[in-house]
Amino acid sequence: MSKSQRDRAAARRIVEQQKAAAKRRQVTIWTSVAVVAVLVIAGLIGFVVYSNQTKTTSSKVVTPSVAVDSGTAFAVGTGPVTLDLYEDFMCPICHEFETDSAATIKQLVADKKVTVRYHMVAILDDRSQGTKYSTRAAGAAAEAAQEGKFQEYFDVLYANQPEENSTGLSDAKLIELGKSVGLGDTFANAVNNKTYDAWVATVTDTFSARGFNGTPTVVVNGKQLTDANGNPPTHDLLAKTVAAAAG
Amino acid sequence: METRQLSARMTAAWPWVSTLARLGLAAVFLTAGLLKVDDLAASGRAVNAYRLFSYDTAKVIGAVQPFLEIALGLLLLIGLAVRLSAAIAALLLVIFIAGIVSAWARGLQIDCGCFSKGGDLAAGRSAEYGREVLRDVGFLILAGILLVKPRTRFSLDGLLMGER
Repeated sequence: MSKSQRDRAAARRIVEQQKAAAKRRQVTIWTSVAVVAVLVIAGLIGFVVYSNQTKTTSSKVVTPSVAVDSGTAFAVGTGPVTLDLYEDFMCPICHEFETDSAATIKQLVADKKVTVRYHMVAILDDRSQGTKYSTRAAGAAAEAAQEGKFQEYFDVLYANQPEENSTGLSDAKLIELGKSVGLGDTFANAVNNKTYDAWVATVTDTFSARGFNGTPTVVVNGKQLTDANGNPPTHDLLAKTVAAAAG
Repeated sequence: METRQLSARMTAAWPWVSTLARLGLAAVFLTAGLLKVDDLAASGRAVNAYRLFSYDTAKVIGAVQPFLEIALGLLLLIGLAVRLSAAIAALLLVIFIAGIVSAWARGLQIDCGCFSKGGDLAAGRSAEYGREVLRDVGFLILAGILLVKPRTRFSLDGLLMGER
């Protein structure tokens, strides 16, 4: 190979290397643009999907006429102290709270010391193998409230609380338990038609908007009540706090 | 001579190490996103549980985040602009870690909502911030490998660059 041939070969190599580098640059630029575009589009899709879901839900909302507190709760009793209870029918700690405090609360209601406002939220819908028990149970309780049987139905649902992460009680079982407290065909229809299920989402939304994140949340005259460790109050602490709030 | 052989072997091995890191990180983001995308309201509540944003802001973040995670997971899976994808993954992980540490520092009792719907913990369960942070740091290391060595096998990048 002569010197000029070697020079030409070297020059060709350099040109090829430059071409390859230019190609890599181009590929890097365009793939980067593609990645950013994909992520922006994915974010927008999320936003649109969410907005549509919110719109669909709110168009289906039927607010129970007996509900108080901007249509998000059911009142029991007529006392001067307001006791707000945020509970989920699937929540085992709510069950514990009810086991411990239900008798005390009923006594306070009977003595006309408190107005209890039950906010039945659905934050544990993913703990019933896709059947959304929290929502279905709260929706059924709304119809029970419409027929003046909220407390009775509430009690029977907690007495029959399904295991967390089971399928929850079936609609048929919800209706059957309704019958046991005197709820009939109107109630059965509301459960089967899921009349109040969309409304339950607005109750849950109000709960979150108020800055609450867990159930049970106990609020006495607008002030959240927990024990020293941040756990739900015992019936003792609850009774004392209500007495203190009554002045 | 021996060191040169070793370094040559390392050069050959890196694309495979990076490939594993890329696929692992893709699986992490896909799983995290898919577990949350079916209930965007719950995802919003999980963000709200950190008590860092107003509820309205938390709802939007909660809705957008699963879609971003899935998209990023898919981009890593096909291997498009791996260095940039890894950088974005690292940025997200740093934000997640910061969120968990801040919840930890404020003494909140929440589930991080990393691979679940999150929210406040039930009474009697204690938060596992240390474990959650360690896990995210592990993912961050995967992203770090890709940042330093973005060349991987079976990637769209490689195909477009005309590598074999």
